[in-house]
Amino acid sequence: MSAGGPRRVAITGMGAVSAFGEGAGTLWRNLRDGNGGIRPLRHEDAGRLRVRIAAQVPESFDPAAHFDERTLPLLDRNAQFALVAATEAIAQSGLDFAANGLGQRTAVVVGTGVGGETTQDEQSRRLYGENASRLHPLTIVRLMTNASASQISIAHGLRGPAFCVASACASSNHAIAQAAQLIRGGLAEVAIAGGTEACLSYGALRAWEAMRVLADDTCRPFSANRRGLVLGEGAGIFVLEAMEHARARGAGILAELAGAGMSADASDIVAPSAEGAAAAMAQALAEAGLAPQDVGYVNAHGTGTPANDATETRAIRLAFGPHADRLAVSSTKSMHGHALGASGALELVAVVSALREGVVPPTANLDRPDPACDLDYVPGTARALELHAALSNSFAFGGLNAVLALRRA
Amino acid sequence: MNAPLSDADIQSQVFGIIAKQAKIDAATLKPESTLKDLGVASLDAIEVIFDIEEHFDVTFPDQGTNFDTDTVQHLIDAVRSALDAKAAGPEAAA
Repeated sequence: MSAGGPRRVAITGMGAVSAFGEGAGTLWRNLRDGNGGIRPLRHEDAGRLRVRIAAQVPESFDPAAHFDERTLPLLDRNAQFALVAATEAIAQSGLDFAANGLGQRTAVVVGTGVGGETTQDEQSRRLYGENASRLHPLTIVRLMTNASASQISIAHGLRGPAFCVASACASSNHAIAQAAQLIRGGLAEVAIAGGTEACLSYGALRAWEAMRVLADDTCRPFSANRRGLVLGEGAGIFVLEAMEHARARGAGILAELAGAGMSADASDIVAPSAEGAAAAMAQALAEAGLAPQDVGYVNAHGTGTPANDATETRAIRLAFGPHADRLAVSSTKSMHGHALGASGALELVAVVSALREGVVPPTANLDRPDPACDLDYVPGTARALELHAALSNSFAFGGLNAVLALRRA
Repeated sequence: MNAPLSDADIQSQVFGIIAKQAKIDAATLKPESTLKDLGVASLDAIEVIFDIEEHFDVTFPDQGTNFDTDTVQHLIDAVRSALDAKAAGPEAAA
């Protein structure tokens, strides 16, 4: 191990499944170009639902093209997304887990808000709706929240620490933060980490409707006419690797995961707190050894709800002080929707790509400035901007905050 | 089908639901009070809406109402118009 200071963590691969289809590159190009992934809801019960729009993984996603007949019955949509994204990320990293026992020293940490929701919903419908007395025998292995982490470990022979992290909309960032800590602490050399979500079941959509936080037009973060969030789905998975391990093998380093900050508001179960969010941002900066003025871009949580966007604006001001006015801040949820436990991972694809290309993705649909949201949100079109470092914010219902700090490789 | 509810019936039933959630005496409620005035915070307000919807078997539109700042009278009016829409036919009640 290297002398002096904690181990640094490199990102050497990334993969995604999103409203734009498969591929981290596909996701990034669409976000950079300001393309919307929010479409009319495709759902067999759409006629009974009030929610009309979502950022769904397109129908072109074909599980049978990725999984054989023996594997597919074991997989909820949640694990399908995670596995496809993990395979892409691992391929990009060029790692061979069979060589030199690397699989023994590789961790898997996957965030998900609700796990195998599609399976849960289908089987509940059989049980309560159709009065069936028998459920599918693979119900448990499909719906268990850790299924995606387990399936990735099985598919790639990864025998280090493996588990799932659930913190609602902050699950991805918490998972990536945990994975980085495993590497820093020497418990793993490599970690496959990110988040996955397939949450658009009839029951879950009804529950979101009841909460009255869904927009009926589109997602308009930081815009005065914002009307709520738009649900999405997908997965983002990354290969995290000890920096010296990545350098020793001459790996392409996409970015450095420089730090993470985590906090709990300990106040309201849904209302966000600027102080809690600001504490997580400050912690992420501190762990990364970054001063506020080193940061050029913040990928905001930016859900498009009245409460989040104004509170997050105050939080960014608290954490960054006067430098907040020189930050580019954008919410890519305006395009890939709010994929709950996968959101932070989809957003990390945007942040890593922004650092690499020197381009900040825009906030789409922001057409009416709100006095309560007074930062530079890069409305409408991407902006060329030389970036040294960036933050990625995720704040969950339940008052759980997780912020990642990234440094250009 | 029961006889249509009078405006006074709706008011007293809405008052009852809010009073229960806010843990206050219904007699102290006024139509011009807002839920916020009554100390009913955001999540409690959503529960009040749910209780009213369940009680009258109606569904309020998602948007166009700010439950924190709108008045109790606004809720009563919303119940009235939802009940009228329901009486007008099943399509209108959605």
